[in-house]
Amino acid sequence: MPPRYCQDSPDAIAACVLEDMALLYHRPSGQTHMVISPVPEILAALDNGAALTAGEVHAELARLYDLGAAEEAVPLVEAHLAELAALGLVRLA
Amino acid sequence: MKHALSLKIGPATFRIGSAWRQPVEALAALYADYPAPSVEVADFTVRLEPAGPLRRWLRPSIFITGDHGLADAAPMSLSHGLLAAEMGMNLQMALGWRRHLLLHASSVEKDGRALVMTGESGSGKSTLAAQLGERGWRLMGDEFALLDLATGMVFPFPRLVSLKNRAIDVLAAEVREDRMGPLLAGTAKGDIRHLVPNGDAIRRMDKGAMPALLLFPRFGHQTDVRAVGQGEVFMRLTQASTNYVALGEPGFDALTHFVRNVPARAIDFSSGEEAIALVERLWEEPA
Repeated sequence: MPPRYCQDSPDAIAACVLEDMALLYHRPSGQTHMVISPVPEILAALDNGAALTAGEVHAELARLYDLGAAEEAVPLVEAHLAELAALGLVRLA
Repeated sequence: MKHALSLKIGPATFRIGSAWRQPVEALAALYADYPAPSVEVADFTVRLEPAGPLRRWLRPSIFITGDHGLADAAPMSLSHGLLAAEMGMNLQMALGWRRHLLLHASSVEKDGRALVMTGESGSGKSTLAAQLGERGWRLMGDEFALLDLATGMVFPFPRLVSLKNRAIDVLAAEVREDRMGPLLAGTAKGDIRHLVPNGDAIRRMDKGAMPALLLFPRFGHQTDVRAVGQGEVFMRLTQASTNYVALGEPGFDALTHFVRNVPARAIDFSSGEEAIALVERLWEEPA
């Protein structure tokens, strides 16, 4: 079974978009993260509270963005999700 | 403590105690025009103590402490007692102030709007603010700019301006001799002389202003002006703040609001006159 990821909690993150990046303030830890695309988009895909696999996040994003071939893009989404889980910004469902 | 003095600088009040008379007398003379604190209890205490049992008399050596202290702060010579007191006050602000987002930056005001300048020690931000303070701008502070968490206004902290090395002669040529403190030669940062901010800066030290321009000055380079992206501005300002992390989300909100609303430029210059002309020009440019 591929791992499923979900938001840390519905209001865990305060986000602020700057010209060239996005800032994420993680309320539970008090840490500020500076991120660039596709991290804000991946987090937005989890916004409705669902627990999704990397493939499902990719499918969600592919409706809005041109991500290229799925066999290349899905492992990248998976790597980002694992990284975000390590930072505490998302968690394994 | 044997000798003591209370001071109010901007919104902060200090009680400075010293085992020796000299640092307190020097401070009292230089802060003579500042209003006396209206409250009995100071925000911070600063203590200048002998570094060891005999060091009050024998090669007198000062250890700076207070509400907040650094365990490994090196003792200083009594001849630098004024500097020790100033450093003690800065230390208390840097480690203990929570009412504003504290930025290690100089700031000046004109027409109700504030110019904030931040950079490493030696960048010229302090000298530039002091010079502008003598040329039609109101000096708000040479060391800390206090960003209000609710309104986004910058509030002054007009302590004595700490002039170092070449900056000493530059300002000494522009102001009355009685506004200059004693020369403190051979400190860890070279020669230092303190400058008393002018009457306007002291009278209006409770008056904030909305920030209108952020500059990253750099002295000693060919004249240049560069735009700085918001991401870089945010990163540099978190580094320039001593209490960003401690303030939590209100600090995040205040800083992001500042970064999104205040235009930022990096400026290089090789002389004070050049820098002043550059600042005046950028100030007049529409954001």
